[in-house]
Amino acid sequence: MAEPAIVAEGVSKVYPGSRSGAPALDGLSLEVPRGGIYGLIGRNGAGKTTFVRIAATQLAMTSGTLRVLGQDVRTEERAIRARIACVPQESRPLYFLRTEEVVYLYLKMRGMTSADARRRTHDALEELSLLEVRKRLVSRLSGGLRRRTLCAMVLASDADVMFLDEPTTGLDPLARREVWEAVRRASREHRTILLTTHYLDEAEALSGRLALIERGQRRLEGTPAELRARVRYPYRVTLWGDVPRDQLASYGAVSEIEGGFLVFAREPEARELARWALERGLRLSMGPVSLEDIFLEVVGRSIDADAPLAEEGAEA
Amino acid sequence: MSARHRLRSLGTFVLLNGLIPIRTQPLYLVNLLASPLSFLFFLTVVSHGRLIGFGITGGLILTMLSAGTGLQSDLTHYRHDLKFQDVVVASPVEAPVYVAGMALSELVYSIPGLAVFVVLFVVDGFATPTSVAVVVGVLLLVWGFATALAFTLATYFQDVRETFMFSPLISLVLTVLPPVYYPLSYLPGWAQFVARFSPTTYAAALVQGSVGQATVSLSTAAVDWGILGAVTAALFLVAAFKARWKEP
Ligand SMILES: Nc1ncnc2c1ncn2[C@@H]1O[C@H](COP(=O)(O)OP(=O)(O)OP(=O)(O)O)[C@@H](O)[C@H]1O
Ligand SMILES: [Mg+2]
Repeated sequence: MAEPAIVAEGVSKVYPGSRSGAPALDGLSLEVPRGGIYGLIGRNGAGKTTFVRIAATQLAMTSGTLRVLGQDVRTEERAIRARIACVPQESRPLYFLRTEEVVYLYLKMRGMTSADARRRTHDALEELSLLEVRKRLVSRLSGGLRRRTLCAMVLASDADVMFLDEPTTGLDPLARREVWEAVRRASREHRTILLTTHYLDEAEALSGRLALIERGQRRLEGTPAELRARVRYPYRVTLWGDVPRDQLASYGAVSEIEGGFLVFAREPEARELARWALERGLRLSMGPVSLEDIFLEVVGRSIDADAPLAEEGAEA
Repeated sequence: MSARHRLRSLGTFVLLNGLIPIRTQPLYLVNLLASPLSFLFFLTVVSHGRLIGFGITGGLILTMLSAGTGLQSDLTHYRHDLKFQDVVVASPVEAPVYVAGMALSELVYSIPGLAVFVVLFVVDGFATPTSVAVVVGVLLLVWGFATALAFTLATYFQDVRETFMFSPLISLVLTVLPPVYYPLSYLPGWAQFVARFSPTTYAAALVQGSVGQATVSLSTAAVDWGILGAVTAALFLVAAFKARWKEP
């Protein structure tokens, strides 16, 4: 197998001048395979951006080792930078440029020829439905269109590894899917994409693998299916109607929702519960747990101590 | 990056920060003319025309310095508000190419100012082969150290407002106190001593000497060149080792 695109071992970061001295990253280890889409999820302040910035050679780490495309971020920055591109969180395109200039000049800046840059600019704008506004000044674009312009810029590049820190924040649902398609296209061209997102459906739909980060540490890692397999109760059953709660307890973990109950259960219990509910004419829906369920469980454990969904210490 | 790629990159920054913004805001050009010209006007009126020559030589130096100050607030704004530096860091573009390109783009704004002063310089009969060579050399060094200083500071400032607060201090040290607009001998003794710490003092002395506004011996001129060159080199080293291209 080819060497992974990114290998992080025990990466820690304490920001200089941080009062508490609490690390933003605390011994984080990750392996991002080449040519795939890798998702980073976690709550605000978990350390996603810190990790992305270290891997993109924008920020120095305190300890640990991190290699991008086989090169050390501490000593071989130049070789890494030649092959990466990044949309930083909260970055904004230069407002006095026209939409197409943002993309075109970025490609020229990276050293592309005019002909190549022009062709790739057109394709990227088309891919993200920005052709209509290509002559418009960035200062006149809506926030979502600006964000899309930045995505177009990086996805149009020839970088082997692309860092997208919350690329779709503020995008409407259709625009988000266009970005997904563009990201998938880039990955089909054997580019590696590391993206962070708060949209868990996005992480699930896009990522070949993903990592859940919590307080600078890796809490879960794997393919979406693996994450689901690690969960103690892989099914969720929603019941609406008047049901005595104590009758449900034997099936799994029960919580009350508006007008009914949510039960997390193993497969046999979930089936049995469904049959039981149907016999009583209750309305129900049933399916595998979503990434959001896993997220809420793992991350919410500190908030809600008795919702045991994911297995403790399941991480290898 | 190969040399050709670097050149392409450089040209892109000139376009991006120099030529394109003028399209949206042509007043930028007038703005940069305003400050050296108003100094020239002031000086001419106050000295009944006696110091206009100093206004011209001083104006040339000030125009190059303000290219540096402008660079500093632009770079801070791009780094901090737009996260543009992060975009550039995570790309094949090396820091010196970025800085050189941005510095050249600032120079675009200085062209009107420079043009006016060059015309006055020639009309006033200052242009001799020696004075032209000295002026070109001095202006290049001034531009060089102003750029290196601007870049280094821009990677430390936390927001653009800080650069506005620092600008008066920097211009005090670099343009007000040093005898850019008058001969060094006009200053009282203590101020002459303080002015010796500013590189612009040497730049002004060289230019003033080359056009006969002040008398300089060959040995003083050599010392002036030496100091100006050393300061520029030192600020380049500071930029190379202390500027935060990668955040610590
Ligand atoms: N420049 C900085 N200086 C000091 N502390 C910082 C800095 N940037 C981030 N931090 C701290 O580091 C921790 C991790 O922040 P980071 O931005 O990596 O989180 P994140 O997972 O990207 O969050 P979000 O989802 O909100 O973007 C937080 O506690 C934050 O306060
Ligand atoms: Mg973040």
